Parts: sequence; structure tokens; C-alpha cells
Amino acid sequence: MIYSIQKRFEDFFLFTAELSLFAMRYFREAFRRPFEINELLRQCYNVGNRSLPLVALTGFIIGLVLTLQTRPTLQEFGAVSWMPSMVSISIVREIGPVIVALICAGRVASGLGAEIGSMRVTEQIDAMEVSGTNPFKYLVVTRITATTLMLPMLVILGDTLGLYGSYIVENTKGDVSFMLFFNQVFDALEYQDIVPATLKTFLFGFAIGLVGTFAGYTCKKGTAGVGRAANSAVVIASLLIFIIDFMAVVITDLFYEL
Amino acid sequence: MKSKATKIRLGVLVVVTTLILLVAAYLIGSRQNLFEETFKLKAAFSNVNGLQQGNNVRFSGINVGVVSQIGMINDSMVMVRMRLEKEIQPFIKSNAIATIGSDGLVGNMIVNIVPQAGEASAVKDGEEISSFSPIATDDLLKTLNVTNENAALLTADLLKVTRSLLSGQGTLGTLLKDTVMAGDLKQSIANLKTATERTNRSLQRFEGWMNELDNREGLLYKLTADPETAKEADSILSNLAAGGQKLNGVLDDLDTLVNSLGKEGGTLHYLNSDTTMTKRLERIMINVEGGTRSFEENMEALRHHWLFRKYFRKMEKEAENNGG
Repeated sequence: MIYSIQKRFEDFFLFTAELSLFAMRYFREAFRRPFEINELLRQCYNVGNRSLPLVALTGFIIGLVLTLQTRPTLQEFGAVSWMPSMVSISIVREIGPVIVALICAGRVASGLGAEIGSMRVTEQIDAMEVSGTNPFKYLVVTRITATTLMLPMLVILGDTLGLYGSYIVENTKGDVSFMLFFNQVFDALEYQDIVPATLKTFLFGFAIGLVGTFAGYTCKKGTAGVGRAANSAVVIASLLIFIIDFMAVVITDLFYEL
Repeated sequence: MKSKATKIRLGVLVVVTTLILLVAAYLIGSRQNLFEETFKLKAAFSNVNGLQQGNNVRFSGINVGVVSQIGMINDSMVMVRMRLEKEIQPFIKSNAIATIGSDGLVGNMIVNIVPQAGEASAVKDGEEISSFSPIATDDLLKTLNVTNENAALLTADLLKVTRSLLSGQGTLGTLLKDTVMAGDLKQSIANLKTATERTNRSLQRFEGWMNELDNREGLLYKLTADPETAKEADSILSNLAAGGQKLNGVLDDLDTLVNSLGKEGGTLHYLNSDTTMTKRLERIMINVEGGTRSFEENMEALRHHWLFRKYFRKMEKEAENNGG
């Protein structure tokens, strides 16, 4: 029992250390030539455009549902006109980034874990090393960079569609015009809402890419290892997203005194 | 990255999201007047009631800027600096007053710039305008409390009044409760009505009368308004007075005459009072009658006498000529 707890702690610290080393290796390799631009663009397309329908639908539904659910309560206080500011702040600051990041953790991190894991299992990575191509640069750096760059874009689109969904509910239920809704949205929003929210989405993207590739790159032998890599990639990425979110909010709080 | 189409799709995604971010940033920035030409105003308050940096500034109800800075200037005054749109500057006069209000019951605090009557020049950049510190909610509640207490006292008094009214005490109570008095009052009012009707009629007649008086041809008008008629009337009156005096004299004379008639020894008195005299006069008259009759017979005889016939014929002829 004691042994197993000790082992778990050891595993946890080991994992953290390996993940940190992996991240450092990424930063070392990322700014060193040659740059795999074509592979980067392909991964960007994979992460960005391929996730687009999922993110768009999720964002739209989140905005719609959030508005529908809060409407009765606000109506009770006669504060329905505060809906645009409430929805915009909650979506832009918190719900949009976190929901989109979680969706991408599910879709992208698991994909990365499985893809790179199966490459490791089938010894393709070893083959690349032998043939003189840097597998870390080609497989890991491009993917992490792609998620880091593309996640903010997906979040922005998700936020926009979420606000649009909220507008549709307000328009059908409360006769709020497009102009009025978005006037109130931008009245409520300030730079201190947008800037930290956008900055933390880069971190979310980085975490998704890092965890996904790390799980795949350190995959144990066998097909079971590939499944575990995909699974752990999703779980750890989701967990990291919440931890990063918490840290980002605390730091933002220090700076802006929300 | 094989096909061109995927590259283009990726490019579209990146451009669209970047544009959305830029537009959002611009829209938020424009709310805080970061990209427009602005000018500064300041106002000192003793209490800003939770006003924050970034709260809206309104002029005549339009959002024209934001609060850019709030800071203490001494131990009791807070200086609020505002950044306002340049194009609104000519309309804000230097006598305008800044007040702090709330946007709705639970809304954000706002600075209202209220224009004042009277001529003043437009504000300059960085000028300080006078302020009116808002009544804090506490003060408001205190005032309300006093009002409430007064209202309670008032209603207690009112209750007493209505109770005494209901039980029929006092003049008003009697008025409300006493049915006999009500009948009397009704009668009085009816009487009052007839009286006023009559008065009305009288007044109408009086008015007609006055109208007649106004008629320029009427005697009354002349008497009251025409100076010549007045003079005439005056002279008539003085003549009348003189006539009266003369009449008086005549009457005096008559009086003495009548008195003298009454005295014994006078002819008239004798005529009046002596009865034998009248009988004698009667006899005289009878004698005279007989005398005249005989004289007539004599004259007839004379006419037929030849000596005098010629004369009488001549007389007849002349009488005929005169009549023809």
C-alpha cells in the first residue's frame, strides 16, 4: 500500500519532469533551422480547419443554451436587458476558451497521441532517426506549434458564434436588434476581458499539443500502449487546461483587480 | 502540404479570425475613445459614490466620453478627469455642471455634464468645470425617514379627525350626521336660489334703466351730463324761486285784504252781513224792472211818432248796410 502510494508519487514527479524536459526540448528545437513549414501548415490545417465545424457548432450551442438558461432568472429581476453584457463577458472571458480547448483536447490531443504513438510502436520514428530526419522536429515541433497558433483562432470563432447564438435567442424572445445587442456586448467588453482570455488560449493550445505529442512520443510498446497514449493525452490535456485556466485567472486578477 | 486548396482554406481561417479579433479590439477601444480625437475636462467632487475609471460621461444624455482618472487632491476633494470626444467640445459651455448619477437602479455610475442657462464660452482643453456632489443613498434614506415619521404623525391626527367626524362631533360632524340640519341646509340653499334669481331680475331692470340713462336724447342724460341743460335748469329753478317769493308777497296782500273784509264798517262787510239791505236791494231791483218796462213802451211809442220816425228809419238802413 505504502509502496504503491510512493510509486504513484514517484510516477507523478517523473511524469512532470519528463513533460518539462519534453517542453524544453520543444523550445530548443523550435527556433532552430531547418523549419518544417509545409508540415506546420498541414498540421495547422488539421488542427484548425478540421476542428472548425465541431468548434463552431459547440460555440453556437453554448451561446444559445447559456442565454436560454439564464433568461428566466434575469427576467425575474427585470434585468433581461443585461443579457448581452452578461453573456459576452462570460463567453469571452471563460466559457469560450475553456469549452473550445476541451473540445480540441478531445479531438486533437487524442489524435496526436494515437498518431505519434502508433508511429513509435511501429518503429517509424526510429526509422526516421536512422534516415537522418529529426523526428522530434518534424513530428513534435510542428504539431505543438500548430495547436498553439490555431487554438486562439478557434476560440475567437467559437466566441463569435456563441455571441451570435445568444443574439438569436434574444432576438426571437425579446425583440433585441442586432445593432443593440452587439452595441451592448462591446459596451460591456474591455481590453482586460479580451487580452488575458486570448493569451491563455495560446497556453491551452500549447498544452494540448505538448501533452498529445508527449503521450505519443513516450508510448510503450504494443497496441494497448497506443490506446493508453490517446487516453492519457485527453485526460492530462483536459486537466492541464483547467490548471492553466486557474493560474491565468489568478494572474489576471492580480494585474487587473477584476 | 500537398494541395493548394487546403492552404487557401487555412489562410481564410487565419484571416477571418484575425479580422474578428481586430474588429473586436477596435470596437472596444472606440468605446474608450482610444482612437478618436479627444479633449480633457476635470471636476472636483467631495464624494464620487463608487465612480470608476472607464465609466461613461454623458452630456445631455449622450455618451460622449469616459472617466480617465480619479484621484484625491486634498483631504476632502476627489478630482475626476474625463476624456471626451473632440467634436462635442463646442457644445459644452464653461458654466456646465458635472454631477455623478447612476445608470438605472443597479447600474454603473456615470458622470452627467448638465448645461446651465446663460451665456458662456465653450470649455477649453483641460478646463475644470464646477460640480454638484450627489446625495448619497444614506442621506436620501435619512430624509425619507423624517418624511415617514411626519407622515405617521399626520395620519394619526387624520385618524382622530375622521373618528370624531364619524361620531358626529363638532360642526363638520353635525353637518355629516344631522338629517334635520341637512333639510334646513337644503331649504336655505333653495331660498338662496330664489333670492339670487330675484336679484338677477332686479339687476337686469336696473341695467335697462342705466341703459336708458345712457341715451343721449333722454332728459335724464341731459340733466346729468349736458352742461347747457344744467344751466337752463339752474336758471329755471332760480326763476321759480323768484316767482315763489313774488307769490308769497301776493298771498300776503290777499291775506290782509281778506282780513280787512272781515272787519266791521267796511262796504263789503256790510254787503255781506246786513240781511235787510238785500231785501231793500230786491225791492229796488223790482222797481227798476217795472221802470224799464214802462220806458220800453214809451220808446215804442216814440218810434211811431212822426217827429222821430225819420231818425229810426235811417238807423235801420245803416244797420242793413252794415249787415249786407
